[in-house]
Amino acid sequence: MIMSEVMEVANSWPIWLIASFVVFIVIFQALIFMKISIKTAPEIGMTSAEVKQSLRTGFISSLGPSFGIAVIVVSLITVIGSPMTLMRIGIIGSAATELTAAGIGANAYGVELGGDNFTLEAFTTVVWTMCLGGTGWLLFAALFTKSLGNIQKKVVKRNAKTMAIVSTAAMLGAFGYLTSQQMVNSFSHATVAIASGVTMMLISFIANRRNISWLKEWSLGIALIVGMSIGYFTTLL
Amino acid sequence: MAMKKEIFNQTSIELSQSAEMEAFHSRSHFWGRLTLWVLIAASLMAPLYLSFVLGAHPGWTPIIAGLVGYAAFVGIMWVLEPVTYYPTLGISGTYIGFLTGNIANMCLPCSAAAQNAVGAEPGTKKAEISGTLGIAIASLTNIIVIIFVVLSGSYIVSILPAPVETALGYVLPAIFGGVLGQFAIKVPLYGTIALIVGLIILFSPIFSLIQIVLCVVITVAIVLYIEKLKASKE
Repeated sequence: MIMSEVMEVANSWPIWLIASFVVFIVIFQALIFMKISIKTAPEIGMTSAEVKQSLRTGFISSLGPSFGIAVIVVSLITVIGSPMTLMRIGIIGSAATELTAAGIGANAYGVELGGDNFTLEAFTTVVWTMCLGGTGWLLFAALFTKSLGNIQKKVVKRNAKTMAIVSTAAMLGAFGYLTSQQMVNSFSHATVAIASGVTMMLISFIANRRNISWLKEWSLGIALIVGMSIGYFTTLL
Repeated sequence: MAMKKEIFNQTSIELSQSAEMEAFHSRSHFWGRLTLWVLIAASLMAPLYLSFVLGAHPGWTPIIAGLVGYAAFVGIMWVLEPVTYYPTLGISGTYIGFLTGNIANMCLPCSAAAQNAVGAEPGTKKAEISGTLGIAIASLTNIIVIIFVVLSGSYIVSILPAPVETALGYVLPAIFGGVLGQFAIKVPLYGTIALIVGLIILFSPIFSLIQIVLCVVITVAIVLYIEKLKASKE
């Protein structure tokens, strides 16, 4: 009984309005950064063909991850309602983080998520926890990105090559860890990671050798599809 | 080996420092900070509305307890994530990535794929602009997909055939493996090192949240050391 009352508030129009505003900021920011990048591109000798190539590649490569995110989003809708899900998943914070945060918030109020005594006050505690918690990243990025940029400038001034090396090595380090973490999950996960990695290497090799630009744009997308399909087939074994 | 050297030893590596890039950076700082601060304010609107307009305020004690619980859970990442990902995201990428989220599973792969498609070497101006375009469009695609899924009341997800849904469960190993593969073809030695360091750290008794940071730091240190050895040999 109480839960349906909570859900009525959670799906009410003021919450939808706030969620729409959050979504608007995300869209606005993406468009403004596209605009300033497109403006800068010719000044640094990037052709409009390369701009389009970058956009197409980003779009193709983001489809797999976006639908992957969408599938887990569904689990959150039943817990915190549609508009709240939209505004939490639309910005920093993954479904897993938000679900845990929701649990922490409910516990802080002394109840269980979606339990019998999950009142509107309990729901409010959950919303406070998720929103304040997610703000940590936003605050840090808003306050310190400029300082990080200044440090980078100093490093580049001393040795430009070092920054390029650090940039690549940091990427490798992060993805080396993330990949190993996935691979130890199960045989299927390991197979998927290897299949996708090998596909990517093969496609990149062919695309670079023959200089096929559409293949370069599709390479991550194709690697994703091959990896995920093989993942599905391993579940049939 | 010859290929490996080319990556970092170009004599004419284009610095991402010039008047044009200065202008790009100052615009990025302006819009990035503005959008982040507005989002911070917007984030607080929902709880403030529930507490003080609807009058369902639970009291500050549970709210603080919730925040402390959250901070204990992932609070360390508020600082570690932006610092860890900054070298690869850059200024504009950090502003977009930390507003839109999904950095490792979407932003970074899309940025790297875009840079790869136009053949931009890391650390160049072209890489920065191309990467920003890749991340920005990924953020846009992601929010549109989420809007459709949420508005359709998860109808879109429910009509996905079962095999597709199973396959989507493997999106993480597929994307991480793919990105590693993309880099490994350029620098196979470093790709292998990163994977080995990752596995060793994964099985070490280290607090799990800082493992990725440690892996990044160690990989960077090893790669810098090898590059230094190579340079001194020449």
